[in-house]
Amino acid sequence: MDSTAHQGAYDRGSTIFSPDGRLYQVEYAREAVDRGAPSVGVVADDCTVLAARKRVRSPLLEPTSVEKVHAVDDQLAIASAGHAADARQLVDVARRASQHHRLRYDEQIGVETLAKRLADHVQERTQNGGSRPYGAALLVGGADPIGGATRPRLFEVDPSGTPYGWNATAVGDGANDVRRFFEAQFADGDEDRDRDRDRDGSGRRWAIETALEGLEATTGDDLEPETLEVRTIDSRDGVEALSSARIGDALAEIGS
Amino acid sequence: MRRTTDDRFRPGREPESISPATDGFQAPLGEGTADDSSRIVETGTTTVGVVGPNGVVLAADRRASLGGRFVTSKRARKIEPVADRTALTFSGSVGEAQTFVRQLRSERRLYELRGERAASVETIATVAGDLIQQGPYRALELVLAGVDDEPSLYQIGRGGGVMRADYAASGSGMQLAYGNLEDAYEPDLPLSALREAAAVAVHSATERDTASGDGATLATITDDGIDLETFDTPNAAVAATTEEVA
Repeated sequence: MDSTAHQGAYDRGSTIFSPDGRLYQVEYAREAVDRGAPSVGVVADDCTVLAARKRVRSPLLEPTSVEKVHAVDDQLAIASAGHAADARQLVDVARRASQHHRLRYDEQIGVETLAKRLADHVQERTQNGGSRPYGAALLVGGADPIGGATRPRLFEVDPSGTPYGWNATAVGDGANDVRRFFEAQFADGDEDRDRDRDRDGSGRRWAIETALEGLEATTGDDLEPETLEVRTIDSRDGVEALSSARIGDALAEIGS
Repeated sequence: MRRTTDDRFRPGREPESISPATDGFQAPLGEGTADDSSRIVETGTTTVGVVGPNGVVLAADRRASLGGRFVTSKRARKIEPVADRTALTFSGSVGEAQTFVRQLRSERRLYELRGERAASVETIATVAGDLIQQGPYRALELVLAGVDDEPSLYQIGRGGGVMRADYAASGSGMQLAYGNLEDAYEPDLPLSALREAAAVAVHSATERDTASGDGATLATITDDGIDLETFDTPNAAVAATTEEVA
């Protein structure tokens, strides 16, 4: 009996449950995400950091044409892992959703609202006949205005269409290792974090370095600035891409 | 490549010219909205724009009215920034203008996010013309200006026609303003002279056009950005700008 017959073709349509209540197509889509180059997100006191490793397959490839972290609005960005083509579509949905929100309400869409809007869109592809799930997971990072202040936030949207809020997380290849690393960092009350807070009151440097350390946990090789993308999002400077030089400095700081 | 003024006048591309604002907008017969709305959407306003080598200046009065017969606001702002170095003046329905400006800003931001570079003034003018041509806007007339590689100005008619110009006016006071601009404009005016020409044109219109008045707003756009000033009377704007020239 071949494997298809064994599973009774429950993996053929994304809209068909298996007898034990699983949606195989959604699980396969998660598998696609796990094979993608990893992206991580870390929330600091007043900024969110998104970072990603890029697979540059050939020295002939323009590294900047591999996009992993995308600006979505003034204070919103999305990092992705999995099928790049699917992720690009979702990023455009996000950009249109944020501008639609501005048109209607004259304000930037909230990070949580945007993540839920994207999750709804992704979920539709797991229930409608004739469509396949998105083979990409997103990290939605940004700053939410709360009263006079802003609160940095980070949400994950997975191929099933579920939004989760995180203090720090990862998607893609090695995500579990990164998450364990982050859990240890947050559980210990990181000394570096406290020191960095004292220095500039935000923990921004700490968040950038922690994000890079997380990415380092996904590979045996040294990280190279050219194959990394790092963006910080805060209420003052909006979405800012770190230059290769600054990424290099941060790598030197963590001893990579 | 940047298109020239002449390209904007290609035969067949321009379906209409900017009609005299004093005619008022006539809603099409048979749609049941012709009577009152035609008065409300009349473009009682004077706005102008003038280009020079170092920048471009926009000016507008501050009166909002019901068909020029009743003043609904003496502190209206008819100049809105739509990018770091691009702004527009509008005449026509206030509600349409507010929605339009928000839509134009959203389109511009999407363009930037998708392309990760700033939209040129011509791009913004093209989008603005398309929105008016395709959208629900019935009575908007714009003067859109900004600075990218060079300062430029576009007049955009209520049919969505986009025409590049060195100076332009819109609204019910436009004939009076144009009278001034035709006299004051010459190529390569310095910023101070542009500011004076714009302020004087709006002031002249407010003196004789009953639908324009109650102060002036002046926007000076250069490489450094948009400098927006408001004056409580059109005279004050003239006084402030002629001092500079003198």
